[in-house]
Amino acid sequence: MLRGAPFEDPAYLPSRLPSSYNPMHTFELPKGADKHYRQQFADMYFLRLAQLKEAVRQKAQDAWSDFKLGNEQARFVDRVLDVRQGELCWVIGTVYIEMGLKPNILDDIAKEHWIAAPPSRATYKSTNDAMMLEDESGRLRLTGAITNSSTNDDSYSYVTGCVLAALGTEQADGAFHVLATQWADLPRQPQRWERDDSALAMAKKPVPQRKSEKRKGESGKLAIVSGLEITGTEDDDVPLDLFIEYLTCESGGPPDQTPRTKFSRLLIAGNSLSHSSPILSREDFAAARKAGKQKHYGYDSSAYNASPSERLDDFLAQILPTVPVTLLPGASDPANVALPQQPLHPALFPKSRHYANPPASSNETREGLDSVTNPWEGDIEGWRVVGSGGQNVDDLMKYVSLGSVGALDVMEFMLRWRCIAPTAPDTLWCYPFQDDDPLIVKDCPHIYIVGNQAEFAKRVITGPAGQRVLLIAVPRFSQTRQVVVLDLESLEVEKVAFDVRG
Amino acid sequence: MADKYKEYLATRVLAEGKPITYRLLSRALAVHVNTAKQMLYDFHTKQNARTPNSVHATYLITGRKRALEQTNGANGGGVEDEDTVMQSSPPYMSSMPDIEAEESEEAAAEAPVPTTTIVLVKEEELESAKAEFEEITSIQVYSLEPGPLKDMRILSVCNQEITTSYSSSDPLQWWEVYGMVHNPYIKACILPFNSTPRRTGKYVPPPTTASTKPLASKTAPKAESKAPAHPSEEKSKAALISKGNVSEDTSGRSTPQPVAKTTTTLKKSDSKPNLRKDASDIFKSFAKAKAKPKSAGASKDSTPAPANDVPMQGMSEDEGNDEDDAPEVKIDEEKLKQQRQKRKEVNEKLQQMMDMSDEEMADVEEKGSEPLRKEPEEETGSSKTIEPEPTATVTSQGGRRRGRRKVIKTKKVKDEDGYLVTREETVWESFSEDEPQPVKKPKPAPKPASTAKGKGGKMGQGSIANFFKKA
Repeated sequence: MLRGAPFEDPAYLPSRLPSSYNPMHTFELPKGADKHYRQQFADMYFLRLAQLKEAVRQKAQDAWSDFKLGNEQARFVDRVLDVRQGELCWVIGTVYIEMGLKPNILDDIAKEHWIAAPPSRATYKSTNDAMMLEDESGRLRLTGAITNSSTNDDSYSYVTGCVLAALGTEQADGAFHVLATQWADLPRQPQRWERDDSALAMAKKPVPQRKSEKRKGESGKLAIVSGLEITGTEDDDVPLDLFIEYLTCESGGPPDQTPRTKFSRLLIAGNSLSHSSPILSREDFAAARKAGKQKHYGYDSSAYNASPSERLDDFLAQILPTVPVTLLPGASDPANVALPQQPLHPALFPKSRHYANPPASSNETREGLDSVTNPWEGDIEGWRVVGSGGQNVDDLMKYVSLGSVGALDVMEFMLRWRCIAPTAPDTLWCYPFQDDDPLIVKDCPHIYIVGNQAEFAKRVITGPAGQRVLLIAVPRFSQTRQVVVLDLESLEVEKVAFDVRG
Repeated sequence: MADKYKEYLATRVLAEGKPITYRLLSRALAVHVNTAKQMLYDFHTKQNARTPNSVHATYLITGRKRALEQTNGANGGGVEDEDTVMQSSPPYMSSMPDIEAEESEEAAAEAPVPTTTIVLVKEEELESAKAEFEEITSIQVYSLEPGPLKDMRILSVCNQEITTSYSSSDPLQWWEVYGMVHNPYIKACILPFNSTPRRTGKYVPPPTTASTKPLASKTAPKAESKAPAHPSEEKSKAALISKGNVSEDTSGRSTPQPVAKTTTTLKKSDSKPNLRKDASDIFKSFAKAKAKPKSAGASKDSTPAPANDVPMQGMSEDEGNDEDDAPEVKIDEEKLKQQRQKRKEVNEKLQQMMDMSDEEMADVEEKGSEPLRKEPEEETGSSKTIEPEPTATVTSQGGRRRGRRKVIKTKKVKDEDGYLVTREETVWESFSEDEPQPVKKPKPAPKPASTAKGKGGKMGQGSIANFFKKA
């Protein structure tokens, strides 16, 4: 582009590809008065165990049906309290880990009124943690190698809330000595395009022959970003501008611009705004109190600063004419704090909401701005994608020794345990689901994206029935200035890094 | 365009001393971004040939970076260093497919991913930055400024200027002019700014707003593209424009406002005559005094509507700032008057609402909420209610509700071994409970009261019209 006059006519840029996009509304909560908070959280554990028990039992049956220790044949015991001392057996239950540093709501309330979020801890682990297996009948204390993750490799750490089958014997002291464990593993993975095609078939429309019609390379690319953490100050503006120009194919020369036209969607995986959560973190709260603000409740118009959300709106309004956007809320966004976080309200986006369907007419926006839940599930180019703002991974990381397990390991085990937020509702805030727990993975995704991680990482995992899942941990843009690019045909991952010198 | 760009750049950079990015230039002159980049380069070289160092540039380099450490992937199982990950090394890239083919999860996770790097540098650092790249796909002039930049953040002002000054045209046409990539599938539903669906459902957006808006957005680009020819004027305009009110193109704004105004005043005069306009209103209410009470009800029914209009006007008022220069003064006067009047109106209405309390509101609500009332009642059943029978089994009487509903009950049964077994069963249950007190009560309850009290009770605080009507 380093050429002066005479100016040649700008090169032709191909138009964007269509984005085949079919969101699911798995995590949408009932609206308004239909949303109740009176239910007990215990029902969630009950549901989770009830829904996963069969799959775990099947898996354990296959593995242990002819397991023998000495002369003793392992026997399946229906309830954990039915375990007899000295008998080799296996039981299924939900793991509960008693942890010394786990936040205790009663402590928090005793210390101060519930105004600020409880202090965030780096880890919940302490030296005298105990692991238990519970079902509706009772609890069984577990001992053995698996309960002591320090002596073990990482794959044997469990967290509260995951459903497990444990093989072992009860000791004289009443503890269950575990020899081996089994979990549900990846569920059935839908075929690519399955949902779209079946929807077409239901509507009695001809199902397109994908192989011929959608040639290789025909699907576009998905740009994934998380942790924009827009503050509204000038600090973060230039990298954000570069990102906008990157997406709109304005920056760079024609050799760069042409490949970028392939982006058919941008997925923002949480934390678009910084410090906008409705519940102040302990630090923010202390700062606010120091600033001499006596008013703890209610709306304080003098303290309200609209510039972050305006900036986000500007950002979206600039890219939306060229690329559709799926927007997940995150921990620091102005959405509800308990999972599943509900879509960011269109009132935040006076400009960019023109590209979304008005909420009254439809909650689906296939081309344009789609403000969705966190976690979110949907089909992009036929692939089943599960996305999360990262709270589930961050919370789970607090259960394991620091540094021993990466985000990808956590993501992998969430899928293998078939629960994308096992630590909810214990340490992760969560809506008290009553009749169904959407956090259970019913269909194995093809792509699992978690935002707001410290660094980029990706991995392909495989399941027992040949499932292949691409796990992507997306770094925070505000810290790493990195964006992840996913080719939706080959599922190859690339990165784009932005840098400003000086 | 010939030499217009030179003139513009000279004014902007040399005379006014402000930075300009290629993007802003393309918006200002309505040219393709790639042309704008070349214009910047052209201006930069020619100007500096004439007077060295009179113009400073920043460059944007796109390409793949050379890895600083060659032992990038081998730094062990610990936490990977961010920087190392970022600078992917081409030798590893080439070997990556092999590693992936092995299906070794660890290796695949460690394998560096091809990374495109986009770096913004000052002209002094251009060469050193270029040296870090393995492969450069393009370099462009990003911005020009009068002198070396102390802080790159200043450049963000340019993009803010774009959003404030140049986003009034139809965004879906940008690609044609500025060379963004075109997405033929995006459709913006250009709603009038204020007509988000409201909860009351009674509010219908004034149709004029809808019709003028597209028109305005069509005319706008011309005006906008002309404006920059006179940078000083444009500057003053930019100063007038407050940040954030941008998306709404307001040349169309002046029309809907008077309309909205007249509608509110109309509504007001026939709904609730207030003391300020007493003369005409009292006459009117005299004239109406004989009319059926139904009309009174109807007029009351319409009272919420102006109340709903109010925030809308408030919004448009705020945005009135970015009116075009010419009609601004006139509109301001009109607006001011309107504003004052409206504020009074709002206050009065609030006052009235406070004073009249329940009966009045109940009357108002009565009409619309009749079918709605069933709903909240049903919702108040315990959360376990799955199928409250929709038919008349729920009866409400004297503040208590009775009926039958289906509930899921958790049953604890002792089985033969003596264990407690928890089962969930669906059973029919008759119930009788208090009416949901705080929220829903005001609606149904005051109905009889209003007829009883309506005659004499409220005239002290109510509007004078009611007194006459009832008499």
